[in-house]
Amino acid sequence: MNARLRAVTGFAAVAAMALLSGCSAVQKGAGILASQGKISEKDRAAIVGTSQALRSTFADITDEEEYYIGRAVSALILSRYKTVDDDAFTRYLNLVGMAVVYNSDRPETYGGYHFTVLDSDEVNAMAAPGGFVFVTKGLVRRCGDEETLAAILAHEVGHVAARHGLQSIKKSRLVDAFGVIGSTAASQLNSEELTKLTGLFEGALGDVLETLVGRGYDRKYEFEADALSVKFIAQTGYNPAGLAAFLTTMERDKPSGPVAGWFKTHPSPADRLTRVRAEIAALESAPAKLDIRTARFAAELERLK
Amino acid sequence: MKKRLRLGALALAVLLVFVYLLAETITVKVKTTSVRRDPKFYAASLATIKSGTALQKLALKNGWFQVKTKDGVTGWVHSSAIDTRKFDLTALGGAQQTQASSGEVALAAKGFNKRVEDQYRVQNAAANYAGVDKMEKFTVLPAEVEEFLKRGKLGEFGGGR
Repeated sequence: MNARLRAVTGFAAVAAMALLSGCSAVQKGAGILASQGKISEKDRAAIVGTSQALRSTFADITDEEEYYIGRAVSALILSRYKTVDDDAFTRYLNLVGMAVVYNSDRPETYGGYHFTVLDSDEVNAMAAPGGFVFVTKGLVRRCGDEETLAAILAHEVGHVAARHGLQSIKKSRLVDAFGVIGSTAASQLNSEELTKLTGLFEGALGDVLETLVGRGYDRKYEFEADALSVKFIAQTGYNPAGLAAFLTTMERDKPSGPVAGWFKTHPSPADRLTRVRAEIAALESAPAKLDIRTARFAAELERLK
Repeated sequence: MKKRLRLGALALAVLLVFVYLLAETITVKVKTTSVRRDPKFYAASLATIKSGTALQKLALKNGWFQVKTKDGVTGWVHSSAIDTRKFDLTALGGAQQTQASSGEVALAAKGFNKRVEDQYRVQNAAANYAGVDKMEKFTVLPAEVEEFLKRGKLGEFGGGR
C-alpha cells in the first residue's frame, strides 16, 4: 500500500469509528491503528483523550468503574455494621438472591451479585452499585416467608439493574472526573491527576452513601424498584404478593412522629402499596405461593434467632 | 482526478469491510463469565472468558448472544455481560484478539479503577475492604441455584401458575 492510500484508509477508518462507535471502541480502534502504523502514537493519544472527554453522565460510567464505586460504598457500609457470620444462612440468602438475579433484567455485573446479612435489629435493606446487597437481621425476621424475602431482594436488585445508585452522584463531579481522565494524552495519570481523581471518587462515594443511608432515593426510583421487584419475582416463579404483605406490615408498624432508618429512606408504605397492588393486578398470571418454600424459609430463619 | 476518485472508492470499500466486520464482533465487559452450552446460567460452561475478550456474534435470542470464541467454541453469553456498543475493532487483526489494545489499556489505566481504589484506601483506613472481599468471595454455584430452583419449584421448574 502506498503512503497516500494508507493515510486515506486510516482516516476513513478513524472517521467511521468516531461516527459509529462508543468511547471504548474508539480507543481500541485507535490503538489498533497505531499499532499497525496507520496513525501516529500522538494521534492515537489525542483520539483517546477526546473520546474520554466526551463522557459526561452516569450512563457513561463503565461496569468496571461501577464495580469499584460499589466496593468502596460497601466498605463504608461494612465499617458501620457488623455482618451475621452464619455461612448456612448466607448461602440460603445468596440462593434466593441469585434465583431472582437470573430472572432479572441485568443478571450479570462486572463483579457479580453478592448478598449479606447485617447484624442489626433495625429494619433496612441497601444495595451498592454493581450488586452488593445488604439486608438487616431485623428485616429478615420480619419476612413471613421466602416470597417476601425474595421480593425485598428483588427490589434491591432492581436498584442495581437500573443503576439508581450511580444516578445519585452529582453531575458536576462526574464531569470533573471525566475531565481529569480525558485531559492527558499519557496512558497513565500522573500523581497529581491521581490525587484529584481519587478526591472525586471519594466525593462520588459520599453522594451514593448519603442516598443509601441518609436521604434515601428519589421517590420515583423507589417506585421503579418496586415495579421491577414485582416483575422479577413473578419471572422467578414467586407469588408477588410477598412485597404487598411486607409493605402492609410496615404501614401497620409505622411510628408516629419523626422517622428514621427505613422509614426515612423510603416513601410511605401506603403510597407504595397502592402502586404495587396495581402492578400485581396487571400481571397476566401470578405464580402460586408454595408451602415447600415457606417451610425452608422457616427452617433457615431459626439460625438467625 | 481519476486516480483520486479510484482512491476514494477504495477507501469507501475498505470502510464498508470495516463496518461489516465490526458489526459481527462483541466484547465481554464483566470481570469473568462463561460461554454456556445453552442460553441459561446453569447450563454447562464450555469456556471461561474475561473482560475485553472479543467474540464473534452468531445470533441474539431472548437476551442471550450465541457466540463463537477465537478458539472456535460456540455457545451462549448473556447480553448483560456484553458491551452492546455495536462497533468494536478488537477483532481486527490476529494479535489484537488476545491482547488488550493500547487504547483499552489507556481506559483501564485512567478510570475509577484499582489504582484509584488503592490510593483511596491509603487515605481511608476505616473503610472495611476486608469485609467486602469476604462478601465477594462468598458465591453460590449456578448448579446450586439450579438445585434450589428445582426444590422450590421455581423458574422453569415451576408450574403453579
